[in-house]
Amino acid sequence: MKKIQILSFFIIVVVFSFIYTGCSARSNIATAKSGAQLWGENCLRCHNTPSPKTFSDAEWDAAVLHMRVRANLTASEATKIVEFLKTAN
Amino acid sequence: MKVQFLIYFSMSIFLFSPRQADAQEVQSTDEIQKLREQIEQLKNESAAHKQGTSKFLLRGYAHSGLQVTDESFSFIGGAFNPIFIYKQSDRLLFESELEFELEDGNLGIGLEYANMSYLLSKNLTLRAGKFLVPFGIFVPNLHPAWINRFPTAPLGVGHDGIVPSNDIGVELRGGSYLGNLKINYSVYAVNGSQLNDGQEDAEEGGILHHAVFPDNNRGKTIGGRLGFFPFSNSSLELGVSGMYGTVGAKSSKLEDINALHYAFDLSFVKSLPSLSSVLDLKAQYSGTKVDEAAYPDPEDPTNFVTFDNNSSAWFAQVSIRPALIDNKFFRNLEFAARYSTLKTPEGAAWEVDETQIDLGVNYWIDWRTLLKFSYRISSSAEEDHVEPEHDEIAGNAFFVHWALGF
Ligand code: HEC
Repeated sequence: MKKIQILSFFIIVVVFSFIYTGCSARSNIATAKSGAQLWGENCLRCHNTPSPKTFSDAEWDAAVLHMRVRANLTASEATKIVEFLKTAN
Repeated sequence: MKVQFLIYFSMSIFLFSPRQADAQEVQSTDEIQKLREQIEQLKNESAAHKQGTSKFLLRGYAHSGLQVTDESFSFIGGAFNPIFIYKQSDRLLFESELEFELEDGNLGIGLEYANMSYLLSKNLTLRAGKFLVPFGIFVPNLHPAWINRFPTAPLGVGHDGIVPSNDIGVELRGGSYLGNLKINYSVYAVNGSQLNDGQEDAEEGGILHHAVFPDNNRGKTIGGRLGFFPFSNSSLELGVSGMYGTVGAKSSKLEDINALHYAFDLSFVKSLPSLSSVLDLKAQYSGTKVDEAAYPDPEDPTNFVTFDNNSSAWFAQVSIRPALIDNKFFRNLEFAARYSTLKTPEGAAWEVDETQIDLGVNYWIDWRTLLKFSYRISSSAEEDHVEPEHDEIAGNAFFVHWALGF
């Protein structure tokens, strides 16, 4: 079982180096995507995509924060999506 | 000429007459005053409804249905799950889900989750409390009745399955980009599962129980999940999860017994314009390995037996919905199929080797409300296998369910 502990330690190190490199990678495809595109690509992965008309601005603020945590969205993805939903509702 | 001059002269007198201008001015100042008052009134009204920084959503879902088997023809389910979401600030979120369910004629109340998340950075969130364990995809992402394409969970997953569902602890999670590769990650420490030592009921020796409180030992279970999106449009996600910790009770013979849970998952969702449809594929393999231990022999509890305490479960499901066609009825129809299996240890009293195929047709009333019609074909490799506790997972059955998210 020592092996498993070493393996989990290894996984944690890999994960955090990912996070670090992820944070430092400034430009990537997501920065070029619009809020509408990110909404179209991300909000149907687990369930049907809700129409922007479903909620008010304030409700979208809460719902998208909930989804940011649930779906592990980055800050910029969540911000662009919520901005899109608020202009299209 | 004179006549023309006279006309121009009288027109200019008419147009620029001071009395006329006065009257207009009075009228427009009146209107401006009225508008000012209206604006002031609107300002006051909107100030009364001004949003604070703290925002709140009360949502949830409900479901129930009809189950027809060889033995029964009954309405089942009847669950109502309210979900409370509080956005305290841009960084702080609280989420909680209760479950009100009818169980054997009584109302059962469960706390599915109650936790707070604090956004530490753009890519990292700290979560603490009772949460859905990010192990595979079914429990955290697909279990709500309005998301699950079938009336039941796949074999081995869900409240009494071999796969961990919810637990109390702390977690770091987030998403990021490795160049152009999108990834997400989670690491957590929770109380972990508890091993049944068979002392109370020898037939249950070796079973792992999840989400039981309080913890039976001091050792914490650690785990994590790593997800990758190989395509830049996020249509495909591949994930690997692991969870490891002590499961034996402190100061018991089994106190050093550990268990390893691992899972691989896949999610693929894509619009197929050529078929005017949306295709949704989901799959998950989960395995559990418990250290070797001896449990009371159900035939003669003074004796001890041992077996390889390994279990596994996997499911794959596909659904297709012609969502891109014009016909309103057909674009709300969805066809779904799922294959799932569960294998528990050979030689254990709770040995099961089951397979289920679920075939379904769903009708979507809105994005979170649907009617599910499905037929389940079950088969078991064991002739004399122990009937699972819940008749929900035994035998062929036909279901009609409705689920409503609100
Ligand atoms: C990783 C899977 C996943 C993704 C991706 C996802 N959701 Fe969700 N969503 C869920 C689950 C699971 C629930 C149900 C919450 C529960 O029952 O615990 C949900 C619930 C919701 C709800 C109902 C209110 C609530 O917060 O519970 C809304 C609205 C919603 N999602 C919007 C979105 C939007 C917008 C996106 C795109 C940014 C999105 N979802 C992406 C999994 C996901």
